[in-house]
Amino acid sequence: MSGDVLIKVEGVSKKFCRSLGRSIKYGVRDVARDLVGLSSKPGELREGEFWAVDDVSFELKKGETLGIIGPNGAGKTTVLKMLNGIFMPDKGKVEVRGRAGVLIAIGAGFHPMLTGRENIYVNGAILGMSKKEINKKYDSIVDFADIGDFLDSPVKYYSSGMYVRLGFAIAIHCEPDILLVDEVLAVGDVGFRAKCYNKIAELQNNCTVVIVSHDMPTIARISSKCMLLNNAQPIFLGATEKAIQRYFSSFEREKTNIHSDGVYLVVCDIKTKVENDEYILTTGEPLEMNLELDSEVDAEQMTLIICFLSSSGEFVAEWSSWFNGVRLKLGKGRQKFHISLGPLQLNPGTYHMSLIVTSENRIEHLLWVHNGWIFRIEGKRIGNAPYEIEGSIS
Amino acid sequence: MNNKQVKLYQPDAQLKMGWFVIWREMFDELISSRELIWRLFVRDFLAKYKQTVLGILWALIMPLLMVGTFIFLNRAGVMNIGKTDVPYPVFALLGLSIWQLFATGLTACTNSILQGGSMVVKINFPKESLVIAALAQSIFGFLVRIGLLVVVFAIYKVIPSWSTLLLPLALIPLMLLTLGLGFLLSLLNVLMRDITYIVTLMTTFLLFLTPVLYPSPSSGFLATLNIYNPLSVLVTGARDLVIFGYMKEPSQFLSASLISLVIFLISWRIFHLVEARMAERV
Repeated sequence: MSGDVLIKVEGVSKKFCRSLGRSIKYGVRDVARDLVGLSSKPGELREGEFWAVDDVSFELKKGETLGIIGPNGAGKTTVLKMLNGIFMPDKGKVEVRGRAGVLIAIGAGFHPMLTGRENIYVNGAILGMSKKEINKKYDSIVDFADIGDFLDSPVKYYSSGMYVRLGFAIAIHCEPDILLVDEVLAVGDVGFRAKCYNKIAELQNNCTVVIVSHDMPTIARISSKCMLLNNAQPIFLGATEKAIQRYFSSFEREKTNIHSDGVYLVVCDIKTKVENDEYILTTGEPLEMNLELDSEVDAEQMTLIICFLSSSGEFVAEWSSWFNGVRLKLGKGRQKFHISLGPLQLNPGTYHMSLIVTSENRIEHLLWVHNGWIFRIEGKRIGNAPYEIEGSIS
Repeated sequence: MNNKQVKLYQPDAQLKMGWFVIWREMFDELISSRELIWRLFVRDFLAKYKQTVLGILWALIMPLLMVGTFIFLNRAGVMNIGKTDVPYPVFALLGLSIWQLFATGLTACTNSILQGGSMVVKINFPKESLVIAALAQSIFGFLVRIGLLVVVFAIYKVIPSWSTLLLPLALIPLMLLTLGLGFLLSLLNVLMRDITYIVTLMTTFLLFLTPVLYPSPSSGFLATLNIYNPLSVLVTGARDLVIFGYMKEPSQFLSASLISLVIFLISWRIFHLVEARMAERV
């Protein structure tokens, strides 16, 4: 390895076995082959095995931060574990230089019966710190963890947030050259998370950070590049925004769920570019659409609602005819509507649109097309929130 | 920058390095894990005794019960233990204390990696430390029992020989044997959890096959067996050292020590070779 390269991963793959029985058998066989000096042929799959990580390569220099994203089970944590040498790769090779600060799981190595104070020493030793080093940094660790009187209670009485606080505080104080962080930080409260990210930013100058997270704003903020894993394979490695966009669009389409009670959707014509069944918009663009509904009921008045949901299923934006002062009349038979929405200030990502028609009292749902349309919002910025407010400052 | 340690992880890495080259790395790793071994020992020690009322007294209860049972069986005439050179309680407690260094040590070592399981899969550290820290627990138990022995020696007015000062040296082969077997069994235990049960059974069984609670028979089946059982001479040799000040069978003790050393070195090497696979199976 040359220069400032701290992590070099070349064509690394890892296989796992699905069945417990076979896993034992293979384990015994591999060990036996090791003992007699034969290769266990790690590069070949045996029955019941699969690649959990398939052909991953990257190189990280000092000061760089790699975000690893992807759906559950994509192999993100396995990559982290190979970087730490917990798992040996079955193909390829991993080279790392320097001491690794590892935060792969909450309080790894904490003993539930020991106090936080005692665990600091144990955990520090596991991370390779000497007693002298720990003593020197002890106050700083305690200060950072900020768990107050709990420091002298057994760790088993800690909340998961406190676990992470203490674990993270220790991991970053071992002066790592390489910091490996799994999703654990999500457990901490907002204040602590902010503190952690600030600390990571501070460390970034002197080390290489690899972080696994589902929290895209976080990834966007701290990663200098990003790898998207799906089904064990690296789909994308490069600019963070692009990786995040690919991530959002790689999700399987949410099932459309249509509930009709007397009103049917005949036509929905959205006036924008369509690509692979996805409606493409840029942040801040207005949206126009034509609807045609067929009604069996003769409702005096109705309300039409259009909602946007984030990819995690939360409602993030809504337009309602009633709220906009329009009292729509719905008679029997087919009727056409034209809807024009103002600038859609959604931040880049994937959203689903739902259409709801309710009776006047807005209790009875006459039509509910849930997750009927996918919108891909494009733009440069990955915000913290899905909605971007227009405003000015002086 | 360049003085930073570079680690290389790749399949069959150790096979490529060969069987012998790796010793240097193993020693370095052992030296640098001193701190960790101590911490793990303290951790297990605190965790073990914090929740008990009797605390370290538990290290005494089992040998006392065992010796008590034997005294009872002997007096009741169920069993004839034979003549011992010092009062039986002294003889048996001393032997049992030495034996338990092996037996509790082996049990603890065997379970060490499985018990450390959550740690093993979440962080990379020299796993030898877990096994060695487990043996340290057993050594601590032995030290506690020395306190009991002092009392028992005083009660029966037996004066240990000056050579007792060499006892720590005489116990090294036994500890190496324990550690060696512990390395192997802790690995096997990760693959097959049956090992825990087998070890518990075997240590109990071996206790009766080894002249711990009775003097070495001079003839018969057990006498023949004792020649091939390195544990026998390792336990009785150490005991003789305390009681008589010399070993009755120094050459046997020496060869048993050599066997222990070889077992230890081979097991350690195997452990180092295979430990990287353990995280996947724990």
